[in-house]
Amino acid sequence: MESKKIECDTYNYYGSKPEGEIQTREIHKSPSARVEKSRQLYFETKSSASVEFPYWYTRKWEELEGEIPIVRRAEALKAGFEHLTPAIFPGELLVLGKSHYLRGSYPMPWLSEAFFMAHEDRLYKDALEAGKVSADEVTTMGQGGGNVTKSIGNVLSIAGKFGLRKEEMPILLDVAKKWHNKSVDDVGHKYEQLVPGYHEKEEIMRAVICMFDSGYTLPQGREVMNYYYPLQYGIEGIKNICDEKLKQAAGYPGMDRIYFYKSVYTMLEGLQSWIKNHAEEAKLMASLEEDENDKSEYLEIAERLEWLAINPPRTFHDALQLVWIFHVAVLNEDAISGLSPGRLGQVLYPFWKRDMDKGILSRERSLELLECMRMKFTELDCFASMGVVGGVLSGNTFNNLCLGGLTKDGESAANELEMLILESAMTCDTPQPTLSLLYDEKLPEEFLLKGIECTKIGTGYPAWINNRVAMEFLLNNFKNEGMTLEEVRAWSIGGCLETSAGSWMPLDLDGVTHYIPGGSAPATSVGVHFISLPKVLEAVLFDGLDKRTGRRVYPAHGYNLESYEEVWKAFQEYFSLTVEVLTLTNNIQHDVWGKISPSIINSMLKPDCLETGKDISNKGSRYNRTFNVEICGGVNLVNSLASLKKNVFEEKNFSLATLKQALEENFGYISALETGSYSLTEQKQTQNFQTWLKTHKQCLDAPKFGNDNKYVDNIFKEWQEWFSGMCENYRSLYDEPLYSCQISVSTHGPMGAVTLATPDGRLGGTTFADGSVSAYPGTDQNGPYALFSSATCYNHASSQNSQLNMKIHPSVIKGREGARKFLEMIRAYLRKGGFHVQFNIVDSRMLKDAQQNPDKYRGLMVRVAGFTQYWVELGKQIQDEVIARTEYAEI
Amino acid sequence: MNHIDCKYYLATDVFKGICKRTKAKIKADEPACSDFEKAPKCKHCLHFSMKENNLGLCLEKATAYPDMQAVTCNDFAWK
Repeated sequence: MESKKIECDTYNYYGSKPEGEIQTREIHKSPSARVEKSRQLYFETKSSASVEFPYWYTRKWEELEGEIPIVRRAEALKAGFEHLTPAIFPGELLVLGKSHYLRGSYPMPWLSEAFFMAHEDRLYKDALEAGKVSADEVTTMGQGGGNVTKSIGNVLSIAGKFGLRKEEMPILLDVAKKWHNKSVDDVGHKYEQLVPGYHEKEEIMRAVICMFDSGYTLPQGREVMNYYYPLQYGIEGIKNICDEKLKQAAGYPGMDRIYFYKSVYTMLEGLQSWIKNHAEEAKLMASLEEDENDKSEYLEIAERLEWLAINPPRTFHDALQLVWIFHVAVLNEDAISGLSPGRLGQVLYPFWKRDMDKGILSRERSLELLECMRMKFTELDCFASMGVVGGVLSGNTFNNLCLGGLTKDGESAANELEMLILESAMTCDTPQPTLSLLYDEKLPEEFLLKGIECTKIGTGYPAWINNRVAMEFLLNNFKNEGMTLEEVRAWSIGGCLETSAGSWMPLDLDGVTHYIPGGSAPATSVGVHFISLPKVLEAVLFDGLDKRTGRRVYPAHGYNLESYEEVWKAFQEYFSLTVEVLTLTNNIQHDVWGKISPSIINSMLKPDCLETGKDISNKGSRYNRTFNVEICGGVNLVNSLASLKKNVFEEKNFSLATLKQALEENFGYISALETGSYSLTEQKQTQNFQTWLKTHKQCLDAPKFGNDNKYVDNIFKEWQEWFSGMCENYRSLYDEPLYSCQISVSTHGPMGAVTLATPDGRLGGTTFADGSVSAYPGTDQNGPYALFSSATCYNHASSQNSQLNMKIHPSVIKGREGARKFLEMIRAYLRKGGFHVQFNIVDSRMLKDAQQNPDKYRGLMVRVAGFTQYWVELGKQIQDEVIARTEYAEI
Repeated sequence: MNHIDCKYYLATDVFKGICKRTKAKIKADEPACSDFEKAPKCKHCLHFSMKENNLGLCLEKATAYPDMQAVTCNDFAWK
């Protein structure tokens, strides 16, 4: 077959094409020498899994057969924590991690075990048959950085990312098999089959119309931590609260409370052992140390841990260490992505200010501690399946730290510590924690310009978030659960972009009450995970079939599709069926999760679980309307609808039958899965190319979202309003209506990979447009303000979020004048009602060079969706998409 | 014996680590130096009995594996 390269630039530009040398970013800063060493160590380190925690968890679980489930789980978790091998790495000022490896994590077979089986194992084949691993098969993992992509020597590669010592594989299989028919996955699977329409659910998963199930993959996360109780009471203080509550509850109706308090108490004992084991390790390290300064640091670490195992923090350093301990503790109780520290600079400010006033802390030391914190967050890994880790998360863990916003009484909440947090994100530019700036007109200009300075560094953070839009969404969403204007100001982002409810907690320090914000709702982005809108449209056009596998996904819709209205109606019906069956099956999964694997530590932290004695799965949180419906590929859907409407039904440029044939023949191009290139650029033609040239051009020329074109924007608005409204027709496990959520994370890669060409001219297998209101690469040709008009053609407060990614050439925003211009542009978007915008400040040619020469770019980071990641750790699908995004060479 | 079996081996990942005494970066599967001291692991424990497929029994009741670290195990006793 003769093939020819598509005649199209590799890069998409708005404005003058940059010429000359590749331009680097304007600002470069460096961390302290200590942290730079830690960063280099991190760069040399591979993602590593261990079996220690799951081994001890499972062993204790088996010993306690017949025990009350939540108490049994608490004892199992306690066994896991107290047996973790302690490790303290050179130069660390903050210690403890998920396991003894620097980038350590471990499987949790009590959630799902089939994935750990060898591919030839029957359990794995069962999972394949149920459509559970379809997303894994179409996902590409990053081939560089810390990913262990191949088995080498005594190390086995799992999911193309994690290394596991060969000698641990037999015990992993042994442990995993003990959970067969007992894990959340297996038990949930048994009961979700009771849902009428379960057959469609399996076909939906197999077709990758939905990316993954909710209850056993990442059952917690996309939420905001609440550190109040440990900061106020210390661990022993919380145990005392449990003791008191136990006495009050024992024997009285509502007996579940005593099991909950007993579980929290048990868990805290496990955490105390874990902390004390690290204190002992610090003493050992001190005993081996000849350098007096290093010896003294190890002894300080030991003393701090011994104190914090019992007591509340004394200093800012103590408080930061305790926050980190509880952050890791929650991460170790479930497979979690998107556990956000929230407005940490405001939570810790009272401790920081007190130390500064006392003269026992300097700005330099504060900055170094914050850099150390960045390294600890960056070292986090989440162990899950390839489809989840690669296809959704891109190896990221989404710990979003928010800045700005308002105080309890409605004033600017920005503070000096947050200025230092921004500075540390520039000096120590690592992916985690990512930052979000909660923009409000009340924030001071100096603070906003610091945010701009950080954005300009090119790491993709802070994302700029509209405080007022989020508050409007939350007030509306949680009004039936008593949300007030004062309380809503405590909100924060959980995960990449999930607007989450918060509360003000009364931290008492030296007799003064400081109201600190913290999360008060459980996981969001649970419910219906990522429906591929272009794939649903494909099923509409082909009467319910998945053209990739040839399998029937939906019942025939019965429409002749003779009008645009019929296409739209058939789409609504298929989409509704998808949401219905996924809501019901995921409700069952989450119910099973709450019974087998309830959250104990996170429940303890979230108001008002400790007060009421109810864990999260029993609606112990103050706010519980958190189940949502996530989508992907919205802009490609809308562009496709516009093309269908115009080309097929209005101008009759070609028939629907012709279009379907063109889609099946990929407009005369080789599939992206064959070329290995996933953006519209760099595709190769087949000999059949001329047959479809005109049709393809007409599809490409149809109106495109992102140009302030009312024809397509009205379709976008109609879709948005219908989508947000229809979600309320479905009810979560907690008997609350669902709501809409619009983030793509990395799903637009694998979901695009399984989707035929689309009526908007996108070729088969290529990646969808990112985010939710980002234009499809190269189609936004009228400048940023036209893009903003399109993006704000509907009310963003009707949804949990929206997402706009932009790529800007570094020269455009250079210097003070460039910074001012940049801030005004962001303001203009947010004032129009945009919820979120974020930026890659990069020369696209650098990304292409990095793709070809990854070894030269180990530290290069890009913004993908609501997260920043090292370029070399991204899969090719996403790399190609980021390169193809329109680069603004003018704003 | 290799570095991975040494008391002073601090694993950074599954391939390599740091010597707690010398601070040198070392590979897990390379031979240990003359200062080697055994790390507490199940295979060195009095209560561990080896069975088949690289698995064994702990206290004659629970499945265990020989290379599991035992620094935090209260039942560990040197053979």
